[in-house]
Formats: sequence, C-alpha cells, structure tokens
Amino acid sequence: MMPIPLSWWLTVSAALFSIGVYGALSRKNAIGILMGIELVLNAVNINLVAFWRYIAPTDISGQVFAIIVITVAAAEAAVGLAIIIALYRRRQTAVVDDLDLLKN
Amino acid sequence: MPFDPSQIPIVQIVFFVMTACAIGGAIGVVSSPNLFHSALYLVLSLFGVAGYYVLLSAGFLAVVQLMVYVGAIAILILFAIMFARRLMGQGENQNNQQWWLSLPIVMILFAVLVGVVNTVSWPVSGAEPTGDTVMELGHAFLGSYLIPFEVVSILLSVALIGGIFLAREKVEAEEA
Amino acid sequence: MPIEIPTLNIAALTPFLAVTVTAFVVMFFELFVNDKRILGYLSLLGLAVAAISSVMLLGVSPAPAFQEMAISDGYALVLNLIFIVTAALSILISLSYLGDRALQRGEYYALLLFSTGGMMLMGAATDLIVVFMGLEIMSIALYVLAAFNRRKMGSGEAGMKYFILGAFASAFFLYGVALVYGATGSTNLSAIGNWFTSGGGDLTDPIALVGLSLLLVGFAFKIAAVPFQWWTPDVYQGAPTSVTAFMSVGAKAAGFAALVRLLMVSFGQAFTLDWQIAVAALAVVTMTGGNIAALAQKDIKRMLAFSSIAHAGYILVGVVPGTIDGVQAVLFYLMGYAFMNIGAFAVVAVLEHRVAISSAIEEYAGLAARKPLLAAAMLLFMVSLTGLPPFVGFWGKLYVFRAAVEANMSWLAVVGVINSAISAFYYLGVVVQMYMRPAAATEDGEEVVPISLSGPVTITLAVAVIITVILGIWPTPLVNLTSLAVFG
Repeated sequence: MMPIPLSWWLTVSAALFSIGVYGALSRKNAIGILMGIELVLNAVNINLVAFWRYIAPTDISGQVFAIIVITVAAAEAAVGLAIIIALYRRRQTAVVDDLDLLKN
Repeated sequence: MPFDPSQIPIVQIVFFVMTACAIGGAIGVVSSPNLFHSALYLVLSLFGVAGYYVLLSAGFLAVVQLMVYVGAIAILILFAIMFARRLMGQGENQNNQQWWLSLPIVMILFAVLVGVVNTVSWPVSGAEPTGDTVMELGHAFLGSYLIPFEVVSILLSVALIGGIFLAREKVEAEEA
Repeated sequence: MPIEIPTLNIAALTPFLAVTVTAFVVMFFELFVNDKRILGYLSLLGLAVAAISSVMLLGVSPAPAFQEMAISDGYALVLNLIFIVTAALSILISLSYLGDRALQRGEYYALLLFSTGGMMLMGAATDLIVVFMGLEIMSIALYVLAAFNRRKMGSGEAGMKYFILGAFASAFFLYGVALVYGATGSTNLSAIGNWFTSGGGDLTDPIALVGLSLLLVGFAFKIAAVPFQWWTPDVYQGAPTSVTAFMSVGAKAAGFAALVRLLMVSFGQAFTLDWQIAVAALAVVTMTGGNIAALAQKDIKRMLAFSSIAHAGYILVGVVPGTIDGVQAVLFYLMGYAFMNIGAFAVVAVLEHRVAISSAIEEYAGLAARKPLLAAAMLLFMVSLTGLPPFVGFWGKLYVFRAAVEANMSWLAVVGVINSAISAFYYLGVVVQMYMRPAAATEDGEEVVPISLSGPVTITLAVAVIITVILGIWPTPLVNLTSLAVFG
C-alpha cells in the first residue's frame, strides 16, 4: 500500500499548474512569464511521473515522456532567452507592455 | 502508547516538506517584486519537484531534474537576468495591469482541476516498478521510443542554431 | 533483458528525413558558400526530393513506422505535399525578399526546412509524444524565424510575442496530454481511441472533458482560433513577410493536421456525439471574430492576419462533421489556401522590398496604373480569398460547407456564407485602392520608384496565379489527390 494517495500528487500538480498560469498571466516581464511557464511544465511532469508510478508502473512511457518534456523545456528556454536578450540589447526592456511598435 | 519509530509517517513528512519547497517556491516565483529573487525561488521549487521524483521512485528523473532544470535552465535564467541588469526591477511593480483579473480566473481553474482529479476513479494498480528503471529507460529510448529520442536531437539542433543566431553580439546597421 | 530490435520502417519517413537532412546540409555549406542564395536553391532541391518520395509512398499501402509512433498513410502524405508547397513558395519569396545582404543566410533556410520537418511529423504522428515533438520543432524554428530580421525592431518583438504565447500554449497542451495519459494509460492515439470505444469512459466524463479541453486550447493557439488569436496580427505584421507567408499557411495546416487526426482516430464516434457542438461554436466565433476585426485594419499584413483567423474558422467548419469527406474538404481548402494566401503575401513582399513602402493599405493606391500585372495578380488572390468563382477559393469553401450540410449542420454553412460576404468588404477594399484611387506620392514632385518584377518571387507569383486559376476552372486533380487522404 502506498503511503501517499495518488490524489495528493495530482492536487499538488494542479496547484503548481495554477500558480504557473497565474505567473504567466500576471507578470509584465518576459522572463517572469517564462518562469511561470516553467512551473506549468513541472506540474505536467509531476502528473506524468505520478501516473506512471500509480497506474502503469510496468510501462516506462510516463518517465520517457517526462524526460522529453524536460529536454524540450531546456531548448525552449534557450531560444526564448536568446530572443529576450536580443530584444533587450535593442530596446533596453523586456517588459511586454512596452513593446508597442506593432499596433495600428 | 510506547514510542515506536516505525510508526512515524516518514514518507508523508518528507512529502509535506517537499510540498512546502515546491509550492512555497512557486508562490515566491510569481509574487516576488525582484526578478532575481523570483529566479532563486524557482530553484527552490525545482528542488522540491526533484524530491517528489525520489518519493515516486523515479531516481533517475530526479537527477535529470537537478542537472537539466536546476543546473541548466534555472542558471540560464539567472544569467539572463544578471546580463540585463535593468530586468531585476528592484522596487518596481512586476505585475501588469490585468493581474487582479487573472487571480480569480486561476482560482476557478484550480478549483475545477482539484474537483476533477479527486472525483475521477483512477485505475490505480498496486504493482511495483519492475527491475531497474534506468535500464528500462535505456531500452525504451533505443527501442519503442527510438523516434522521439532521435527527433529530440533535431530539436536541440534547431534550438542551438536559432539561439546562436539570435544572441550573437554583432548587429548590422539599423533600419527602423 | 535482451535488446529488442525495433521495427523501424525508415522508408515511411523518407519525406521527413529528406527535409531534415537537407537542413543539415544547408548548415554545412553555409560555412563555404558566399552567395547564400545558393542555399535557398539547395533547400528547394531537398523539398523536391521530399515531394517525389511523398508521391511515391502514396502508391504503397500505409505501414506504421517506428513502433506505432508515426504512420505514412494517405492523410499524412497529402499533408506533406501541402507543407512542401508552402515551404517551396515561401523560399522563393525569401530568395528575393531577403535581398543579397545580411538577412540572406543559411540559418534561415535551415530553420525553415526544420520547421517543415516538424509539420510533417505532426501530420504523421500517431502518438501524442511525437505530436508534441513535431509541434515543438515547428514552433521553435518559427520563433527564431519571426525574430530573424535583427535590424528591424518589429521583428524581435514579433518573435518574443510568438514565443511567449506559443510556449504557454504548449504547456497547456502538455497538461492535457498528461491528464489523458492518466485516464487512458497510454499516449498512443489508437490506444486512446480503444479506451473510449471499449467503454473505459465516454467523452462526458470529467477527465476527458478537462484533458480534451486543454488539448483543444493548445491547438486553438496554433491554428489561431478565436479566442486564442490575439498573437496573430502582431506576429504577422512584425515578422519578415516571407516568414509570415510561411507560417500563415504552414503552422495552421500543421495544427489542423494533428487536431483532425486526434479527433478522428482517438475520439472518433464520441467526438461526433459530444464534442461537435463545441468545435462548431469555435468555428463560428473564429470566422466572425476574424472577419469583423479585419474590417477595421489599415495595414495589409494585419488585415491578412485577421483574415487568416477567419479562414481558420472556415476550415473548422469542415472539421465539425467528423466525416472523411469533411477531412478531405479541409485538405482541399488548405492546399488552395496555400497558393492564394502565399500569392497575396508575395505581392506584399514585392512592394515592401522593391519600393520600400510600408504595408499600409493606402500605399496600394494607384497600383493598377503603375504595375498592371502585379495589381491583376493581387485582384485575383483577393477574389479567390473571398471565395468567388472561378477560383480555387470558391471550391474550397464549397466543399467545406457541403460537408457541413451533409452532416445536417446547414446553419453552420449559412454562417460561413454570411461571413464570406463580410470578408468581401475588406478584400475588395484593397482592389478599390489599387484600381480606383490615384497614387498619392507623385504630387509633391517626388520621384516614383519603379517597381521591378524580377527574380524568384515572380516564380511564386506566377505559380500561385496559374494554380489558383487552373484549379478554379478544373478542381478535379486536387479533388482526386485529396481523396487519397484516408487514415491508415
């Protein structure tokens, strides 16, 4: 018998997901938004690993998916930060609201 | 009742400590007025999640989490913040104008998710992971998951090419 | 534990491999070649190989590849052709549009090819892991391409906005995948389908509801459906026009590719029963929202961006019935859309670059007098995008709406027709500018910059015009091609 029920993990994951979404919606700085997105991806991984452990422990696919998510997150963060840095060099800002060239 | 060390719910205690790290860190990430502190809270939160993986008997994943997430992604974010000093924004309000609107939206989202995950009867199997999960992972990556494994390398090449191109110092003459 | 040799069936992925390998070859020659335009032609060669192999595979019975992770069925192969056409036309625009200076780089062509490869993967994927990987390869390359013009502020801004919203959408998508994995114990599309049909649960049970909703949100971002469309105008306006042309069709088609396979293969019957109304609602708000917003635009790239939202709505009309006829209509529409929309962007690119005018619609005043051929081409694309005969856009709409009518959803077709009528106002507004307004610049003695039509972009224009007209008069070849698009 496992000492921690599956629903605890899922609740924690839901909390992390919601906090991450809040961060992505409420921050005005691109790096702040990116950190919120990283929290969401961690919530995804908690779910995947918990499902693997509780529902299909003999089939490793949940862990495989989690590792792929981590790798993709790294690639995404690298490109995202490169875009942010390149823009910062030009504009001295990474505040999304300050980026208003593209309006009618 | 005599004291019995085996009665201490050690796993649960560890779970709550890790939850304090993960959730507490996450709240710090989204609420700290200083972006640099946010990034440090992110490291704390990622540590908490790595602890979860240990509790879930996914030790390899815990190591990956520490190396890639804490070691690479979080550090990269810290570097980016330090590179662009004005991003730290000490004392500045880091929230946009709609933050008060997102709070209730996220509350509803959370309520729905918690409601769903606690009502569904998950097909929990009592089975334990068989054998060495590290070896199983290796077999999976070179067996059934060969294509995602190979495609990840393409993805990383794309990120490498794109990242280097964009972040290079030299920018040619301006053209509004 | 012995190592199982997996069944690879590499042949099934030849088009994907051709494109990806070409991308690496391009990066290699970037080191040696001075005139980077050669790399553009090299990319076209790779796309040609991919196209030929796709056509050849169409004759072979579909075989699952890589342990049920991907499949080269007719559906995937026809989509491949759509992606290849999109990429090739965009490369031809780029060869002219990027000029011969700093922007003309090997990285550009390599990333465009990688992105095309990611789209192909999305079309062929039969496992949510591979769908996700394809989505990410496509998106990460597109983030960089949108920000590619580092000399222009707007380009970096476009890249950043696209990145933030795209990453956010991917995260939602992943959370949905995780929940579906928990409920069904698998990420394989047919296994998920089996779980539903074998009574594991129906689509009204809460986890499918939340999981599928999150997946839909992720896809809705990619295809730019209302209410997840706000990134579109800014990104389309700021990105280099050749990139805008590429992603307006390619990214949309890839999003639909994976969405349709998911709905048809995994959710199948249950989709038509429980989910039809949700997708129908999405189609209606997307069509109407895109068209109404497009009416107010003064910049042609923004106008085309909002109109592309509307087109996503029309295409969703074909998805709603959940029939194979609907799917084939969707593919017909996408192929036609590739030619007419990229053609329109090619005109924008020609004017933007040769004359160095902005993309404001007023700048098109008097174009007919200055450059009758170019204006005629634009007229043709605008009429075709409106959906009037005798151009390919008309047949696309006809097939999509007919699929809705046959599924007893005539009201949806009626909404679509009303929307097409609305769209005539802004499409024909461009025509009015070109043909009925005098050019503004000449009065204060300013020299009129000659618009020279030359170089590879003319090939894009010529091909787009010819195909739009020919398929408008004689749509049978494309109908026959899309009828090969069945799920394996």
